[in-house]
Amino acid sequence: MHDFDAIVIGAGNGGLTAAVALQRGGAKTLLLERHNIPGGCATSFVRGDFEFEVALHQLSGLGTEAKPFIMRKVFQDLGVMDKVEFVQEAELYRMVVLDDFDVTLPASWNGIKKTLAEIAPDESEAIERFMTLCEKISIESFVGVPEARKNGNEIMLKNGCPHFIQYGLKDAKSVLDEYFESEQLKTVLAAYWCYLGLPPSQFAFSDLAIMLYCYAAFKPWHIKGGSQALSNALLESFLEAGGEVRFNCAVEKIITEPAGEKRRIAGVRTEYGEEYSCVSVVSNASSIITYCDLLDSPTLPKEVAEDFKSREVGTSAFCIYLGLDCTPAELGIRNASTFISTTQDEELMHATMGTMNPPVATMLTCYNVDDPDFAPPGKTQVSLLCLQYGKVWEGVNPKDYTQRKYEFAGHLFDQAERVFPGLRDHIEEVEVATPLTMMRYLNTPEGAIYGFQQNPEDSKLYRDRYDSVSGLHLAGSWNGMGGFQPTYMLGASTARRALKEISTAKQLMQAQSTKLEAAHV
Amino acid sequence: MSNSFTQPAGKKNILKLVAGYEEGVARKNGRHATGTDKSEYKGKVSAEIAKLHPKRLHLKLIQIFEDTASTKTFRFVGQKGNLPPFQAGQYINLFVNINGVETARPYAISSCPTQRDYYDLTVKIVKNGFVSGYMLREFQVGMDFTATSPMGTFCHNPLFHGNDLVFLAGGSGGAPARSMILSALNQHPSIHYHLIYGNSYEDDVIFQREFRELANKFDQFTLTEVISRPTENYQGLAGHLSKDLIQQQIGDIRGKTFYVCGPTPFNEFCRAQLKALGVEDKRIRIECNGPPKNVSELEDWPNKLEVAQEVTVTVRGKKQFKAKVGEPLLNSMERNGLTMENACRSGECSLCRCKVVEGAVFNPPEAKLRKSDKEFGWVHACVAFPTEDIEIMY
Repeated sequence: MHDFDAIVIGAGNGGLTAAVALQRGGAKTLLLERHNIPGGCATSFVRGDFEFEVALHQLSGLGTEAKPFIMRKVFQDLGVMDKVEFVQEAELYRMVVLDDFDVTLPASWNGIKKTLAEIAPDESEAIERFMTLCEKISIESFVGVPEARKNGNEIMLKNGCPHFIQYGLKDAKSVLDEYFESEQLKTVLAAYWCYLGLPPSQFAFSDLAIMLYCYAAFKPWHIKGGSQALSNALLESFLEAGGEVRFNCAVEKIITEPAGEKRRIAGVRTEYGEEYSCVSVVSNASSIITYCDLLDSPTLPKEVAEDFKSREVGTSAFCIYLGLDCTPAELGIRNASTFISTTQDEELMHATMGTMNPPVATMLTCYNVDDPDFAPPGKTQVSLLCLQYGKVWEGVNPKDYTQRKYEFAGHLFDQAERVFPGLRDHIEEVEVATPLTMMRYLNTPEGAIYGFQQNPEDSKLYRDRYDSVSGLHLAGSWNGMGGFQPTYMLGASTARRALKEISTAKQLMQAQSTKLEAAHV
Repeated sequence: MSNSFTQPAGKKNILKLVAGYEEGVARKNGRHATGTDKSEYKGKVSAEIAKLHPKRLHLKLIQIFEDTASTKTFRFVGQKGNLPPFQAGQYINLFVNINGVETARPYAISSCPTQRDYYDLTVKIVKNGFVSGYMLREFQVGMDFTATSPMGTFCHNPLFHGNDLVFLAGGSGGAPARSMILSALNQHPSIHYHLIYGNSYEDDVIFQREFRELANKFDQFTLTEVISRPTENYQGLAGHLSKDLIQQQIGDIRGKTFYVCGPTPFNEFCRAQLKALGVEDKRIRIECNGPPKNVSELEDWPNKLEVAQEVTVTVRGKKQFKAKVGEPLLNSMERNGLTMENACRSGECSLCRCKVVEGAVFNPPEAKLRKSDKEFGWVHACVAFPTEDIEIMY
């Protein structure tokens, strides 16, 4: 008998959803988390009167009650729909290119078309075609492509997914270039590249199309009380179903045993030396940590080593969490998400992410535009951030770290204050997180926030699932796409696979014990 | 979302039909040819984190200074070389074992952050204190200790504190004040510090000589000493740090940031004085200082509940014990042999977060709880007082 059917390492989005789905699916599950709180990225911290949202900017995939989308079903199945409240945001984003233009895209399909047509009136026909393309590619990606692949059927793909075939795996930049003349139009439409961490020339167009379609058709959302409220709700659901959790308890080793040619999961050992046996382990740690540090084998399994060779660690972020002593209106903040840059050149923005130079692209999120409860009355919570590679910070001498952190934060203020003058004068609380802070709390190589670089060939279209250690599963952004919706979904789908495996193992054990009993009789 | 596909086993790869797919394969192969298997990351993340924030410090006590009759400074070095950097004003939580009870107390580092060969902790005896008295009596040079790495946000923040700084210190509040002032004098010539230092007795002023010497030597540092219980022959300023006294010493309040650190009543008194002077909340930075001492006097404390009353605490899967309602949960757990992570012991850091499964606890204003933690019953054990029989888990 095992101590547990499943052990989940890490209570980030992927680990939490996996744990809930496992326990609700009937598997006796232990969730181990190295920090004192569930959520990973989806967390908050308190300073003064403020509870700061750490990572969620816009939750996708929810849809409205009248027009629900997949995440409502996912959260329903996880038993948290009655434990959280969602807040709809009115705009996709405002985009300001300094000394150039200032455009706000509303969170509505027709509103977007209208706004884009105002930018480039003579391209309205191309705008119409482009938006249709985004919709078609999204639907084909959700339904047609997986269906055709499941059946290995070229005809199905050809007939059902013509848009995906033509544009899905092209890079986003080339598709934007093909459709549009106006540079401004292209820049505005590519703004969500920062949710992927690579410039449009380096990721698949389908990723951009799906983001635009999902946010526009199903709206951007926020969570009352922040993403921590959802993490706490997921944990509550896990506990209600009978799950066991331990905080401040890191896993030190994943223990395996021989199983024919391969190895299989035997259990885990914690930092305190306790060992627990189980059938399945779901690791929400990064795949690099899982295989390089946690797995008990002295060398990487060959298939993993080979797969890692074609992967690159993705970006981290530099975030300033701000509690302000004024209302959003007093600062001229009118919508939740504002992208600010000094250039339209995403290649330059991306290149700057690999340096300590002042960032040329920042994002300012203000949660209490759409949700006044997000800060005390008369006050405002804002996060001001830029993407940045963690390697830059690994080179900083620890003794200079604090000073460098505040210097770099100063650059972000300089840029943001060109749109929101006086921002600094209103600070009541402030906390600055560098890529090393992300590393400390997420335990990821280089403090990466989205996992590996999300180029087209990082996706599962180009990758096989590892199976050299049976019973070991990965959940989280290192095994798929980064961000909230993808990691929640991946946690749930990983749990479904583990549940099958656990059920098979149980049947096998049942059969063996029946045989044993028969032998004793 | 495109990653919801996976290559179905044994099925033909139909993606070759998709424009750009083959180029993706070529790019992947190119990376594979030059990329590493990532084994260079083995141990790297934990090593990087440990440079700034090791989970535990392993310390050796190398020197003890008798500052005053009530106060000693303990000098600790790392058992394995250099200590991590810290910001002046931060604390470490020192773990101690007193007659078999594993507990800990946070102490501000009083030494200057520009040198990291040692940390000084300056400890003033607390009346009826469980730990401070023990430290002053029993700590010997050569003893080994563990502690958390430096933590806390009671520090100069150049993003909004400015350079015109006033520190209102009471007694042991001189410890972080010393570190912050030394840090400024050593590396920030544009900062001006005015320390208004309140103490009860003339002969019990920590760092008195050093502060006076520094004030004489540096224009950027001004010292005002105030004694609340002076002797007959005392010549200096006497009384409390009233608004009039503060106003008289510093003049214009505009543009100044105020740090306040001392015993809780001192902190609350200073806050009220500064507010009366018209100082904005954001310019008053107060260091937290442990759980409330007289919890039953707080507003919202359950009517007629005596602090000495006993309740039963059940820690799921571990133990059951009796505890007094007036004692913080973390303390009674420690006395009963249960340990949990903790650092600030003042309700802020949330390391000792635990869930109240049954029953109720009293959360004083010190408990900086997240909204959703409150909703789902999670509390900070260091400042949670069980007001009835409870069951907790963590």
